[in-house]
Amino acid sequence: MANKKGNNAGGRTQQQINDSKDYSAFKVVFFYCSLIVFLPVATFFLLKSTVLERFFTMSEVTTNIYSAVGAVVALHLALGLYIYKAYFGGSQHTESYKKID
Amino acid sequence: MSDAQSDNPIYGPFFGVMGAASAIIFSALGAAYGTAKSGTGIAAMSVMRPELIMKSIIPVVMAGIIAIYGLVVAVLIAGALEEPSSYTLYKGFIHLGAGLSVGFSGLAAGFAIGIVGDAGVRGTAQQPRLFVGMILILIFAEVLGLYGLIVAIYLYTK
Repeated sequence: MANKKGNNAGGRTQQQINDSKDYSAFKVVFFYCSLIVFLPVATFFLLKSTVLERFFTMSEVTTNIYSAVGAVVALHLALGLYIYKAYFGGSQHTESYKKID
Repeated sequence: MSDAQSDNPIYGPFFGVMGAASAIIFSALGAAYGTAKSGTGIAAMSVMRPELIMKSIIPVVMAGIIAIYGLVVAVLIAGALEEPSSYTLYKGFIHLGAGLSVGFSGLAAGFAIGIVGDAGVRGTAQQPRLFVGMILILIFAEVLGLYGLIVAIYLYTK
């Protein structure tokens, strides 16, 4: 991180810009990763409780099956959303950074 | 020995427990290999192209999904486990088969995702048009685990 040319003010602003870019990228990646991790688990147990609650005649095996299928479908929806975002939204700034020595 | 006792032996739930355990163990093994292998590729690639992080995380996410498949089946099997008196040996075999099918499919898919992810993110750093191909290959590796999940759920309904 040391600025060899002694241009401290310019270097700091450049670094702040890079930090804010990194932070916004981290926020997006963290949001989608937590969505992918927690959405299927939440869907599974939510669907299990609500389906059990609403259609009480359904056997437990059937309820479990529908909950599992719903969880997997929710998981793939979140994954598709992430890939869409990475493919179309993640490449608006294509300039390459220099390697930090 | 009566018929009920021979159908419900004391060791019947052992197979179900082993099915639930192997579902999550082998899926997590494959997911861990996929994460580590593609993680080394991401670390090597990000030195020169840190702006591609968002795209290159995809193999890690897909490897994590393999573990979620195993988790779903393990939770299903664990929810169906009962006392030996009401748990037939047949159910134990079914649950063992379900757990093994999703476990080893997840292991295979995790290996494939790791190797493809490593080579894919390194290649994407040099030729961005490779990204679509990498995603397609990753999806084909991912559905191997999904096939195991489908077979496991189908076995579970028996």
